[in-house]
Amino acid sequence: MSVVARLEPGQLHPERELAAFAGQARGDGAIVSFVGLARPESASGGRVDTLVLEHHEVLTHRSLGEIAVACAERFDVSHVRVVHRCGTIPAGEAIVFAGTSSRHRRAAFDAADYLMDRLKTEAVFWKREVGADGANWIEATAADAADRERWG
Amino acid sequence: MKVLLYGRLAEAIDHKLELDAPSCCSVAELRAQLVASHPATAEPLKRSRVLVGNVVADDGRILQPEDRVEFLPPVSGG
Repeated sequence: MSVVARLEPGQLHPERELAAFAGQARGDGAIVSFVGLARPESASGGRVDTLVLEHHEVLTHRSLGEIAVACAERFDVSHVRVVHRCGTIPAGEAIVFAGTSSRHRRAAFDAADYLMDRLKTEAVFWKREVGADGANWIEATAADAADRERWG
Repeated sequence: MKVLLYGRLAEAIDHKLELDAPSCCSVAELRAQLVASHPATAEPLKRSRVLVGNVVADDGRILQPEDRVEFLPPVSGG
């Protein structure tokens, strides 16, 4: 069993994260990975150039770790890996990598789903889109909250 | 006293303020002082969690000159 939660101030390389994770998960029967990308368009359709994720020097990393540990405890998984960027992220680049592995696929799928629903609502970030419409602060949507509620 | 602000509060006010401790004495009074000096941020200030030395503090907490007080508006998530 391993749980990795990392805050990445530089560029995130999903293929490297997946390769490292697959190396850890040798012996398992399933790996599920999710990569979140910075969208080039806002909810209102305006062009977005960058996404800025402000973080807290203590609480942000702690929140990633707590969510990853809770995931590992709740599901029958062998390994959990969360890597989340902070700072200024150009549109199209990866924001988050979430990986889970297990002996059988269902637990890995459910665990990755749970990880992302919690990260999208509870990870300690303050996020704003910067682009054609200026800078706009982004909050979790009602759909994000409803997704989070599924897990109790 | 050091006051740290995040998110839209930092954008509207500043990331860091140095305040004279005698000008306020509780978390509630500090919050009210910030609302009075920055009325446009009243809503996020009222919804903010407050930490003193990385520990959540309620409105009744009495602040000391050496305290590091942080106002955290609701998080966006990742």
